[in-house]
Order: sequence, then C-alpha cells, then structure tokens
Amino acid sequence: MTPSPQSRPEETDMELINRWKAGDSRAATRLVGRHSQALARFAASAGEREGIEELVQDTFVRAFASLDSFRGESSLRTWLFTIERRLMLDRRRAERRSRETVPVQESDHVSEYGALDGLIAEEAQERVRKSLDALSPTQREVFTLRVQQGLSYKEIAEVVGSTEGAARVHYHNAIRTVKEFLRDE
Amino acid sequence: MNKCIDTEIQEMLPDLLHGSLDGHERQRVAAHLATCESCREDLDVIRTVKGAAVFAPAIDVDRVVRQIPPYRMIVPGVEQPTRTRIVSWLVAAAVILAVVGGGSVLISKQLKTTPAAIATAGPESVKVPIATTTRNDSQATATNVGSLAPTHPRALALSSDIDNLSDGNLRQLMNDMNQFDVLPAAEPEPVIAVDSGDSL
Repeated sequence: MTPSPQSRPEETDMELINRWKAGDSRAATRLVGRHSQALARFAASAGEREGIEELVQDTFVRAFASLDSFRGESSLRTWLFTIERRLMLDRRRAERRSRETVPVQESDHVSEYGALDGLIAEEAQERVRKSLDALSPTQREVFTLRVQQGLSYKEIAEVVGSTEGAARVHYHNAIRTVKEFLRDE
Repeated sequence: MNKCIDTEIQEMLPDLLHGSLDGHERQRVAAHLATCESCREDLDVIRTVKGAAVFAPAIDVDRVVRQIPPYRMIVPGVEQPTRTRIVSWLVAAAVILAVVGGGSVLISKQLKTTPAAIATAGPESVKVPIATTTRNDSQATATNVGSLAPTHPRALALSSDIDNLSDGNLRQLMNDMNQFDVLPAAEPEPVIAVDSGDSL
C-alpha cells in the first residue's frame, strides 16, 4: 500500500531541488512556499518598506538560476538570505545614487508613510520598528536573523559575510539598544 | 537591576523561543531565568520583536514560481552553439589538409633525393637523357644509352641491364662518365643544371 500524501515525511530542500531539476515544477512551488515568507519578514525587518514581493521574487529567480552552485553546505534558507541581502544592498545603492541626482519630493514622503501605515497597524509593532531603526544596518540584520529567523551565529556570519564572533558582538549590542529604546518609550 | 554576565545563556534565549534547544539546555535556561531578571527582560524583548515580524506582506507563491524559468533554459552549455561547431570542423579540416599535403610533399621530396630509392626504383623510372645533356654530337647513341643508364654511378653499378650493352655503347658510356665530377655534390644536381652546363 502506498502511503498517502499526508503520511509522507516532509521532503528536504535538497530532495525538492533534485526533483525540480528533473522537471517537476511542483517542487519549485513547494520550495517557494516554504521559504518566501521568511524572506519577506527578513526584508521587512531589515528596513525594506516597498517592493518586498518583487525582492523575494528576484531572490528566487536568482537562486534557481544558480542552483547548480548550491552545494548544500549551508541550509537553503541561509543561502537565500545571502542572495536577498545582496539584492537589498544593490537596491539601496541604486536608491542612494538616484537620491543624489533626483531631488526628493514631498509626495515621496507621503507615499512612504502611507505604505508604513498599512504595514504597521499596532502601536507595539510601531515601537519595535522604531527600535530596529535605531540599530546600525548590520546590527539590525544580525538581530533579526537571530531573533526572528532563529539562525545560528555561524549561519548569520555566512549571510552577512562576517565572523561568528562579530555576529555575537552585533547581537549583544543590538539587544542592549533595543531594550533601552523600548524601556524609554 | 543587575546586568547578567552569563553570555552563553543570553545567546541561547532566541533558541528557546524557536524551540531549537535540547532538553538539557532548555532546563538550564529555564533555571537561570527563574533567578535572573535581566534575562527575563531580554526574553520579553526577543518575544516582542519576533512577534512583530508578522507584518511582512504575504507573498503570492504562484506568481513567484511563474517567473522561474525551467532548469534546462537556465543552464545552457550542454550543446555547443552551431557557430562554434562549424568553426571546430573548419579547423579540423585545415589541420588534416596541412598534415596530408605537407606529408606528401615531404615524401615526394625524399623519394627524389634518396639514392637508394633511385637505385631500387629500376631503369624505367630513371630514363634521364644523360647523353643528351652532356653531348650533342652523338644524339642517337646518347639517346639509346640514356634510356638505359641510370643517373648515379652507384645505380649504374647495380643495374643489371649494363650487361646487355655492346662494347661500343660501353665505351661511349665510359667516355661520358669521364665528364662527371670526381666528387659527387652533397645534393644531386638537377637534370636541367647539367643540361645547361654542356649542351649550350
């Protein structure tokens, strides 16, 4: 008797990757469904306010295009975070360049705050967002990867291109800053 | 409130919320939390930040998957492009032509210059009009001799047809041989050079 889909053990990422390479498009759907929300949360926590879905989509397109280079030494999610982080850095650089050449208009601020209003509904979450904004970009990345995604320090070091020790220091500095911010609010 | 100095426990607090600690570690952290207010406060902060993460927008999985090209389209290079293949064939053909052409030229040159090859080739292959090239006054005899005599002394000695020559022809041949250089040149002179030397 063949096991029903419900009783089948969860396929690993590597198994799904191999199935997708063999031509099974449903494997891609499973992989995207498994990791897309974590990527979206990471982007939002890292300060991205707009175009998060496009960012997640670009991350998957790039990842699938270079899946042959994924050796499975780290988890697929860690690898996806690394790709997404590079895309975020590229996007910020591009935004910085456009800000240098195009003067910021009043309507830009209005639309940004409008998107934020939709994104953050409750006061507690607004406080968290502000406390994360008080961190340096690297501190915020390390802290959210550790707290929200549950990555180990080794995995975080891989994502942010740093060492395990540096990731620990960033984490301790970040939690101290966030704690003080939330206490003072 | 005193600040906690147990950094190991502090670093394990996110793992406690993610449920990634084993039984022993979980008990150890729980025991510490019972007595450490600073770490309890840290845990509250971590819980708050973790809970705030739900505000990322929902991702349309199908829309993302539609943008992902199939595996074969992404990874070219299994087959070479047509243009590259044509160039490869042309190069291979040029190499073969060079080898075959060059080899045949070398072989023919070697056959022309090797004395042994000339000697063993037989009288038919060395019908060079020696007499014609050396003397004008005995055309008929020279032609007859030339049709039989090889161009090289060694070849001449090895030729079996020399036994069939008459005394007159032999004498004529000996006279012709006296006209030859005493020492042979390193490279056999071409026929035309001999011809231009005496006949004109």
